[in-house]
Amino acid sequence: MNEELIESLVDLYGGRDLSPESEEILESYAFTDAQLSHNLSTLRKTVDLLKSDSGPELTEESYQRILMKIYARGADIEPSFSAPVHLQYQLPIQG
Amino acid sequence: MAERKWLDALAKGDPRALGHIYEAYSERIFRYCFRMLGNRTDAEDATAETFLRVLRRSAELRADGAFRTWLFRIARNLCIDRMRQHKLLELPPDAQYSGSEERSTLRVTVQQALNSLPREYYDPLVLCDLEEMSAKEAADILDISVPALKSRLYRGRKALRDKLGSILEKTS
Repeated sequence: MNEELIESLVDLYGGRDLSPESEEILESYAFTDAQLSHNLSTLRKTVDLLKSDSGPELTEESYQRILMKIYARGADIEPSFSAPVHLQYQLPIQG
Repeated sequence: MAERKWLDALAKGDPRALGHIYEAYSERIFRYCFRMLGNRTDAEDATAETFLRVLRRSAELRADGAFRTWLFRIARNLCIDRMRQHKLLELPPDAQYSGSEERSTLRVTVQQALNSLPREYYDPLVLCDLEEMSAKEAADILDISVPALKSRLYRGRKALRDKLGSILEKTS
């Protein structure tokens, strides 16, 4: 295989965009090529690491704060979920 | 189909429509803004502004598959404006990740490596690998061709791999 083709296959392998049959052929080719084997495994690990990152969480507090910012700018927004009790404004207790 | 109904309702001024769209997309838009801006407060502001823009431009909304792309494009442009204003380039202290300490450390390391990439690599990686969008959607958001998107994505993955270096050897 020429270098350009191998490079393209490595790219596709990293993102799991190759068919299982093509993956198998490439892996068998890499069995005798340490550099190719290293490229395949490290690129796939990189993509897997990214894809496993669930990212920052939208907390209930953030969800409500964003809604408040939208209200504050005069927008008419009516979500079907109401704010949880602990986030609603509490009136001071009299007496 | 449901989305089409809500977008039509939004164009007619139904307040429940924006609420529904907010419920459907707030999590993804917030997460995207947080990744772009790196801190919760700015991400909340940018998310709110994104939905306000949706409301202001509701008459132009097209109730087809392009809505999500359009929404992310608005969010992206707002984040870029904000980054220009504040020069938010460093990983902020309030980046929150759940999970074990070891896992969190790994994620912060990956995030730092990602943040150090040029934007032309960073954007395709965030949209395709983190937000799991198709190449077509990501290309539309970034206003580039699909081949250009793929080329940047592949080069970006390799650049990130090079930055992560020995860390990859330690991961299973």
